[in-house]
Amino acid sequence: MTESADIGIVFWVLSFVILVSAFMVVSLKNIFHCALFLIMCLFSVAGIFVLLDAEFLAAAQVLIYVGAVAILMIFAIMLTSNLASRKIRQVNENVSVGVFVSVLFALASIILIAQTHIWHYKTDFTPVENSIVILGKYLMIQYVLPFEVVSILLLASLIGAIVLARKERS
Amino acid sequence: MIPISAYLIVAAVLFGIGTVGVLISRNMIVVFMCVELMLNAANLALIAFSRALNIMDGHVFVFLALAVAAAEAAVGLAIVLAVYRNRETVNIDRFDMMKW
Amino acid sequence: MSSMDITFPAFDLRFMAPEIFLFLWALFVFAYDVTSKRKSSTAAGYLAMLGLMIAGAILAYTNYGQGYGSMFLFEPAAKFFKIIFLGSAFMAIGSSFGITKERIINHRGEFFGLILLSTVGMMFLSSSNELLSLYIGLELTTIPLFVLASFFKDNKLSVEAGIKYFIVGAFSSALLVYGMSFLYGLSGTTDLVQMKINIAMTHLTFKEIGVILVLANVLIIAGLGFKLSLPPFHQWAPDVYEGSPTPIAAFLSVGSKAAGLIAFAKIFVNGLYAFNGPEMAPNDWGILVGILACAAMILGNTVAIRQTNIKRMLAYSSIAQVGYIMIGMVTMNDLGIASVGFYIFAYMFANMGAFAIVAIFEERTGSCEIQSYAGLSHTSPVLATTFAVFLLSLAGIPPLAGFFAKFFVFASAIKMAQADATAGWLYWIVGVGLLTAVFSLYYYANIIKVMFFSKEASPYRVHYTFPSFGIVLIGIAGVIIFGLYPEPILKFASDISLSFGFLP
Repeated sequence: MTESADIGIVFWVLSFVILVSAFMVVSLKNIFHCALFLIMCLFSVAGIFVLLDAEFLAAAQVLIYVGAVAILMIFAIMLTSNLASRKIRQVNENVSVGVFVSVLFALASIILIAQTHIWHYKTDFTPVENSIVILGKYLMIQYVLPFEVVSILLLASLIGAIVLARKERS
Repeated sequence: MIPISAYLIVAAVLFGIGTVGVLISRNMIVVFMCVELMLNAANLALIAFSRALNIMDGHVFVFLALAVAAAEAAVGLAIVLAVYRNRETVNIDRFDMMKW
Repeated sequence: MSSMDITFPAFDLRFMAPEIFLFLWALFVFAYDVTSKRKSSTAAGYLAMLGLMIAGAILAYTNYGQGYGSMFLFEPAAKFFKIIFLGSAFMAIGSSFGITKERIINHRGEFFGLILLSTVGMMFLSSSNELLSLYIGLELTTIPLFVLASFFKDNKLSVEAGIKYFIVGAFSSALLVYGMSFLYGLSGTTDLVQMKINIAMTHLTFKEIGVILVLANVLIIAGLGFKLSLPPFHQWAPDVYEGSPTPIAAFLSVGSKAAGLIAFAKIFVNGLYAFNGPEMAPNDWGILVGILACAAMILGNTVAIRQTNIKRMLAYSSIAQVGYIMIGMVTMNDLGIASVGFYIFAYMFANMGAFAIVAIFEERTGSCEIQSYAGLSHTSPVLATTFAVFLLSLAGIPPLAGFFAKFFVFASAIKMAQADATAGWLYWIVGVGLLTAVFSLYYYANIIKVMFFSKEASPYRVHYTFPSFGIVLIGIAGVIIFGLYPEPILKFASDISLSFGFLP
């Protein structure tokens, strides 16, 4: 079995896991299980990042999404539902419209992507070497301004989150 | 060799599932998880495009989008807590004080 | 690859002096409020207003130019919109002294500081010239507004507004990023000017990207449509305006909307303009946006009639106003984008003034129902008269600024339709606009009728508290002066179309 065939198998397994766990996030009744499937989905997305030669971003994805965002959500679930295992009706009344619009949109985009060949013309590439070095240079040279503005954004969200989550003493 | 379109189609389906979740879900935290799924689909598409074009701008975009998502998550869950403190529920259709 | 081949571009900080100053000033406001033990109920607000005035003065003395390579672009369009952002933040802060006195006891500094940080985000956004900084600027604009909308955290309506705004905001930014990823994939760049060239080249080579570009356009229009509350992405606006603190609703309806407009103009008018011409046109986003603009004018103006709450009515009125503004946006000539600028400028004075009066009235009476304004002219004639002037300007009655705003938008569309045979659909949009403008008179005049022609005098006598009423006077001055002498603003606004590459 060649190397590219291996990559093919890994890709199909990862995509299968991504899509099934994403479906579980939407359809399961227990919110806690939803969060666990979300973590699984985010992990598999990180795996796909590795296949696309974005190792650093895969690590960042695991650290930020799995390590921070998903854990934050589990905290929120535990703080807000009295019983994390309680089963509730999960869907609201506009199910049919929502499903219709989204499925239509997904189908349209799949067909359009499959029919667009411009990306196939450029498949003969070698992966970028030292991608972390290049990413660092981009962040420090070309994209330094958005990088700095993100720090302002983090400060603003930090202050905002504290203001809202704090219990006031009257 | 996996064609880039395969990655893009996975991203599109993931985005579609996320959109369905946002539109039909009743629990705010699940809605929020589905937004994260959508953002992940967008990130996946960006990296796939970066790979196809063999340039790195998309990686920078994804890196900063991750930071923004974390910031958004912090604020969002703080609002969820504030709502819960007032209403004792996090279900969307209980928010009927103003008509939607 | 050695580590020595790094050449840093010229980091010209002087072009972004107003942003840097305002950011540092926001930190100062946070720090002042904490270190002064939060004793004074007004000091933080006055400090924030002072900071906005100084930032405006710095803005006036900043030269045009580029910093950070092409990442930060300071040109007439950016300057014009920065004036609107600073002005609307100033008027929002000025009219929120009532709520910070009574209802926000513990976090006054954070309230004003977050408004300043959101303004910084808008200013970065209006100077950004590529997708990534555009996205980050939009997020820096929105995330503080999530917090500000739910700032009365003990009030059920306010947190409900916050969560609704948050869900909509997060959803729309996900749509936006996905759309941007397609633009990036089709063009191989995030720079908007380069993007226009690359997409045109790819189109000429492969002839097949048109449909996938439609997908990207729909996603981005949806993402920005939520920020602009353009139907069918408008449902959140009335709820959020009703629940959030009144000055924040005002800021949302002017500042945040202007930020969405400049982002829209940058992506579509600047980045995808090549695709609107008759010779290339694989996708005509103009017609799609034109249909949404018609929907906005019809829906906003008809649903507003039914409202009994003044904040919900102003929300639907703002949905309708966005419809008029988008007419200017889809008009691809030198007048179009200039009329967008003039419209939002006139709208700022009228709408911020109207919301300031709503805030004053709510602070005195605790009510936002239209019925409780009955007979206000007997007890508070000045307040009732100024409110009437703002409403008439929003309705577009001459000689107020709102009339010229609508006039220029329609004039630009008619000029375009006459010049270009393929743009005949603009006549239809102008027709819808004129018809709905007449319709809108009804609900604006209804409030004036309630205030002036009610037999019984109002039980409330509203006191003119200082900063809020100063904001009302600024609004009145703007509406009347720029209605009588629109030339200077028009001249400035026509510079905007120069920075978008439209020659007169």
